[in-house]
Amino acid sequence: MAAKLRYPTGVRPLLIEETARRRRVEARFVGALERAGFAEVVLPIIDYADPYAPFADRNSVRQSYRFVDREGDLVGIRSDFTPMLARALAPSISEDELPLRIFYRGDVIRFEASRLGANRELFQIGAEIVGDGSVEADVEMLRLAAELVRDSGARPTIVYNDTSIVTSLGSSAVRAALVAKRMNDSVPGDRRDVVGKLIGGAATIDDVAPFAPDAAARLRAIAGALIDGDFVLHLDDVDEAVGYYTGIRFRVYANGGRRKVAQGGRYDNLYARFGTAAAAIGFTFTIDDLD
Amino acid sequence: MMRIAIPKGRLQEKALAVFRAAGYDVPGEDDLATRKLVFKRGDIEWIFVKDCDVPVYVEHGAADVGVAGLDQILEHDCGAYQPVEFDFGRCRMMLIAAPGAPPLTKIATKYPRMARQYLESRGLRAEIVPLGGSVELAAVLQLTTHVIDLVETGETVRVHKLELQDEVAQISPRLIVGKNVFHTEQKRIRELIARIEEAKNASLQSQLP
Repeated sequence: MAAKLRYPTGVRPLLIEETARRRRVEARFVGALERAGFAEVVLPIIDYADPYAPFADRNSVRQSYRFVDREGDLVGIRSDFTPMLARALAPSISEDELPLRIFYRGDVIRFEASRLGANRELFQIGAEIVGDGSVEADVEMLRLAAELVRDSGARPTIVYNDTSIVTSLGSSAVRAALVAKRMNDSVPGDRRDVVGKLIGGAATIDDVAPFAPDAAARLRAIAGALIDGDFVLHLDDVDEAVGYYTGIRFRVYANGGRRKVAQGGRYDNLYARFGTAAAAIGFTFTIDDLD
Repeated sequence: MMRIAIPKGRLQEKALAVFRAAGYDVPGEDDLATRKLVFKRGDIEWIFVKDCDVPVYVEHGAADVGVAGLDQILEHDCGAYQPVEFDFGRCRMMLIAAPGAPPLTKIATKYPRMARQYLESRGLRAEIVPLGGSVELAAVLQLTTHVIDLVETGETVRVHKLELQDEVAQISPRLIVGKNVFHTEQKRIRELIARIEEAKNASLQSQLP
């Protein structure tokens, strides 16, 4: 095919000005993360698909570019840093080194057929605290995410919730109702009241506490520590798929804008799947989205 | 400022009626008789786009809120919230064929994605032929063995002497809200949803005998 001028959908080169801009933003992020005590690791651009298979949901499989390499193994191009970091770190971390503060940067490639015109090659910088399951670690990461947005000269809005609440409400119909923001007939009778309140935005931590006491206690502690208006608790913000998140989940917006610039959360079971149990929380900024 | 996308065509009038009943200052017939597609009323901007484009505008944040049929939401794999399901404009997505048509091998449709999912869910295999409109003709002229399309009254199917073979999905229009705006403008969005919900219920009441 004559492809003299075209590039594959969703990728393009950055020329001089755009590259300079990208590098400026990158340098600012890296500087801030290093000052906050995070150390960098570099992860490979391709990896075997097999180690990730047990918890790769349909969506993440659909999003990744995969191929059979010359040795006949199924490999995937990096589409999510977090599980890769867990696989890289888990075999070698020892109890006395924890907690680790790690950051990474690089491209991920995602095939997102639904988002017309969206980039498929995304430059991301992410950070994680590994081996600290405390509320303090949650608060530290939320504050750091807000700080990074402020460093970019923007006002952050960080919307957070705890993913274990919807899990403890049971039934997949509850998740479906919260994802669509509309009640459905399959939500069990004893959950309809709280689900209705969640959808309507009227639910408080007290409403979900009977179903998810641990998450409620944690959210109370986090809300108590993050009192300024940049942090907003949205109890109805629920992911479509369960994924690997186990606790707090958050999305970051800049200047009240319509696009999120970062997202993250806690995944306390992910490292155990690669051999060493360690609680972890992290976030990823997609740099193309921040000036 | 909030931007609301109204689908031109089949759903336009009813969608505007709901917003009007909810107390919004919507563009009137005189406005719509012009060729303009964007109307500012107070702090709301109304945009009029082709029905199949509403989910695209909302998903990308170019519009905050919109009215879209489930057919278009599913066809675009649109991840927007769907807080209100409307009672007007309901119809069915159907598998259609000419009487005595050969076994299913080719399907003409405006909804290739939904057609693919339908085939998968039924364990069927067939080639999908994407068309832009007047899809029934494909079955009449034997371009394909079958057709997947929306059926509202069934009149088009009758006129072309076709028959309904299977239901692919029940389709209803919904209020859709972009995920991000839902989080950054939660108060205004929730107020809008509540007003639309109320207007919808009031119109249901008024239809009671």
